[in-house]
Amino acid sequence: MTERQWNIALDSLLPLLKAGVAFTIPLALISFVLGLLVAVLTAIIRLYGPKPLALAAQFYVWVIRGTPLLVQLFIIFFGLPRVGIVIDPFPAAIIGFTVSVGAYGSETVRAAILSIHKGQWEASYALGMTRWQALRRTVLPQAARVATPTLASSFISLVKDTSLAFTVTVPEMFQRSQQIVATTYEPLVLYVEVALIYLLICSFLSFGQARLEKHFDRYHTR
Amino acid sequence: MLTVSQLRKSFGSAAVLDGIDLRLEKGKVLVMIGPSGSGKTTLLRCINLLETPTEGSVAVGDLELAFAPGRKQRKADILALRQRTGMVFQSYNLFPHRTAAENIMEGLITVRKTSKQQARERAFELLGKVGLADKADLYPHQLSGGQQQRIGIARAIAMDPDLLLFDEPTSALDPELVGEVLKVMRALAAEGRTMVVVTHEMKFAEEVADTVVLMDNGRIVERGTPAEVLRESGNERTRAFLSRLHVQ
Repeated sequence: MTERQWNIALDSLLPLLKAGVAFTIPLALISFVLGLLVAVLTAIIRLYGPKPLALAAQFYVWVIRGTPLLVQLFIIFFGLPRVGIVIDPFPAAIIGFTVSVGAYGSETVRAAILSIHKGQWEASYALGMTRWQALRRTVLPQAARVATPTLASSFISLVKDTSLAFTVTVPEMFQRSQQIVATTYEPLVLYVEVALIYLLICSFLSFGQARLEKHFDRYHTR
Repeated sequence: MLTVSQLRKSFGSAAVLDGIDLRLEKGKVLVMIGPSGSGKTTLLRCINLLETPTEGSVAVGDLELAFAPGRKQRKADILALRQRTGMVFQSYNLFPHRTAAENIMEGLITVRKTSKQQARERAFELLGKVGLADKADLYPHQLSGGQQQRIGIARAIAMDPDLLLFDEPTSALDPELVGEVLKVMRALAAEGRTMVVVTHEMKFAEEVADTVVLMDNGRIVERGTPAEVLRESGNERTRAFLSRLHVQ
């Protein structure tokens, strides 16, 4: 790399990190937390909800998993204004990512709930618990452990997927890198640099995942 | 304390329980024996409604539930009946994500809404009773099978149920661990708990039971005192079952 390229890389670091802290990380964090709520709710409805709601939940998962995230973002941001629903770029991206995490995550949570041994339900019922109490106190805490590795992978994917938000004009990290490329004509330097920042964030998350799994390791499930 | 009348349970067209009548007075111990598949466990599970009987009725104390095909039970009745009974499972079914003490506290906290402090005190009292006071903060996987089952018993009696149900509580244990569990069960019988026990431990049945019931093919084929059923029975099926046990 030439000295000019080094300088460009160094000068872009702060703007890129700023965009990351202001947009990329909040996008990922908010969408994941909301998406997780949607995922758990969807899984529970599919497993134990009344038939029409369960079918609706199944339909939701089918549609979201069967269409590209990028197209979904376009529909929300560029399509919906045609029917009078105008959403700002940032909330539009949050909605798109939340709905996506919710659909994929619900399958993970559903499988995790189903993996918990029937005897755990029965032991809870034998104590006089309702189904909701058994789910909340006995089954979900154990399912959380089962689902952790897969959900952590989803979170890491989501961090990278937030780069799609540039298409709906959110000034997140990747968009910032494109702007800098437009003025410096150094695409290789900038895009490698932004890739490394994504890598760094995801490495932190992998570390967090390992910590969480260690925490769950205090007990075993059969 | 417990009255079971004309209880039937079918899975599809197969009748697993075929008209069971049973009465147990407060403070008495009933032991159910019989070959596997005879319906002992199903009967036990029908008493606390882990299985829904097809027909007949179950009464624990003054709470009677009647069953008929197509009739739905009120949720409140099901919960009330379960709160009056405690169950000890063959495979313990402890909550793996909770410590020994937390396992015992769980019903008190979630169902009885007892304060955490009070539940903890009760848990420690019961841990002492089953001889595991020093294991309070261990998780189930850190305990032996016999210790896990003793926690299972403590969890069941924490709720002070009117009736205790034991589903082959020692069948999953290594032989050398059976004794410690039976000892706890003997102590419970001695303090006047009402118990229904499904077991293959004939010595326990002989020493502790007030009544022994032999089941076969979903029916009670013989009932009486331990001596009557286990020693002096003239019933052909009883003798056949017992001789098979002795051969093993």
